[in-house]
Amino acid sequence: MTAEDRSIQRDRMRYVKNSLSSTLAIVGILFNVFYFVSIYKSDVDTYYYNILIGASIVYNLVFMLAVFLASEGVKNYKKNYSYVLAVVGVLQIARIFILPMQAHAAETLVNGESVMVMQDGQFYRVVAYLVVSAVCLLASAAVNMIRCRELSEHLKTLGVQSA
Amino acid sequence: MATLNLQHIDKIYDNNVQAVFDFNLDVKDGELIVLVGPSGCGKSTTLRMVAGLEDISNGKLLLDGRDITATPAKDRDMAMVFQSYALYGHMTIYENMAFSLTLRKENPNVIHKKVLAAAEILGLTSQLNKKPAQLSGGQRQRVAMGRSIVRNPKVFLFDEPLSNLDAKLRGATRREILLLHKRLQATMMYVTHDQTEALTLADRIVCMSMGHVQQVGTPLELYDSPANVFVASFIGLPPMNFYDVRVEAGKLAGQGFTVPLTEEERHTLRAYNNKEITLGVRPENIVEGTDVPVTVSSNENLGMNTLVHGRIGGGKGAKISAKLKGWRDYKTGDAATFTFNRKHFFDKETTNAIRGGEG
Repeated sequence: MTAEDRSIQRDRMRYVKNSLSSTLAIVGILFNVFYFVSIYKSDVDTYYYNILIGASIVYNLVFMLAVFLASEGVKNYKKNYSYVLAVVGVLQIARIFILPMQAHAAETLVNGESVMVMQDGQFYRVVAYLVVSAVCLLASAAVNMIRCRELSEHLKTLGVQSA
Repeated sequence: MATLNLQHIDKIYDNNVQAVFDFNLDVKDGELIVLVGPSGCGKSTTLRMVAGLEDISNGKLLLDGRDITATPAKDRDMAMVFQSYALYGHMTIYENMAFSLTLRKENPNVIHKKVLAAAEILGLTSQLNKKPAQLSGGQRQRVAMGRSIVRNPKVFLFDEPLSNLDAKLRGATRREILLLHKRLQATMMYVTHDQTEALTLADRIVCMSMGHVQQVGTPLELYDSPANVFVASFIGLPPMNFYDVRVEAGKLAGQGFTVPLTEEERHTLRAYNNKEITLGVRPENIVEGTDVPVTVSSNENLGMNTLVHGRIGGGKGAKISAKLKGWRDYKTGDAATFTFNRKHFFDKETTNAIRGGEG
């Protein structure tokens, strides 16, 4: 790519929305939804009642709202929303060690036999959902951060005040 | 840019209604052709046939000598600007202008350059991040034009683009279209029912009525030498006055008035001695004089001019409208006497203009 192409690409950001960051954030929500609908079902026809379940439900709702708002923010090159996405991305990784890990380690009695509340298959699936969601959110934050910096530098060279 | 040839084009709808009859026109490279006529005369249908939005029933359409009669609209390399702007409300101005190129999967950097260049031409650079709803009607129409410009088409087609604008904006946007044409040197076809637009914009005007071409010529030709009564009545504001008169020795005798003929006019009408013809007089060709007695019915002061309406000889005499220079204060019922400075003659049967050298 020539220097002129790079310059035009930067200039395009003045008029074209950051749809890559926005789309990544939405995909992050999508995989969280997969996680959400998978975590509360047990493969062994039983339930793992825990105080964390309620908190998890509330967190999921707040998460989806926050990330949706952030996806709109990054679409318009708002730098602060990168921080929001980065934080919730890290929290997605941290969540692996809370409900899924605990449910995977816990055992329950089924027909007199002790079995794992969350079987390996379900555990790896929900972990994968959270990891993909986290990667998308962190990527969205990183892309937006880079683009915001480039746009800001470009606007400075044009003598235009950054939004 | 491009030349366009319309050869013997007819438009017949499925219900056998014919909207356009034997339309012939050669549009030169870089020419701005205006199709003008009253509602339902077939001008928009003709434009839509050129654009490929309507099938051509008979005839041929050539673009740069290539027959495109059956070519689909998307492959004709023409851009059309509609009366209703047809902008996407959820997209920004930049996205609206870039949309057609994005669909063609052009390089985004190339699209960017083209959009910025078009925006610069149209003075829209500061509006690119806005949505259409945030712009005035004139600005929206400029966006619609910008969307055409970025495509760099061979021919621009305009279908009554100014009809949705108020009078002031219409004048301003009209001047912008004229400047755009001069700047791009593009071949353009423009449809309007507004004769002012036609006269001010056109290199040549095609005047249509009932699906037939009445006259093709420069604005001055249509104004000064109308081919028939229809063109004479359609072009010019206020419209031309028409009277049934009899050609007598050296004069024209109408109901309640007689006007002398010049030597040249006598020569023009030599084949019509003692016959009835239609006399046409433009209001701006009437001055206060001695030939035609008029009873004034209304007086409209326009500043530089005064529009005087009345009846020749009063009572139920023929109506007359005169556009007199300066400020006048005629009252209803006042008597005035006018003279016709310049006259147009039409055959009463064919309604065609009677020209010098005929007969």
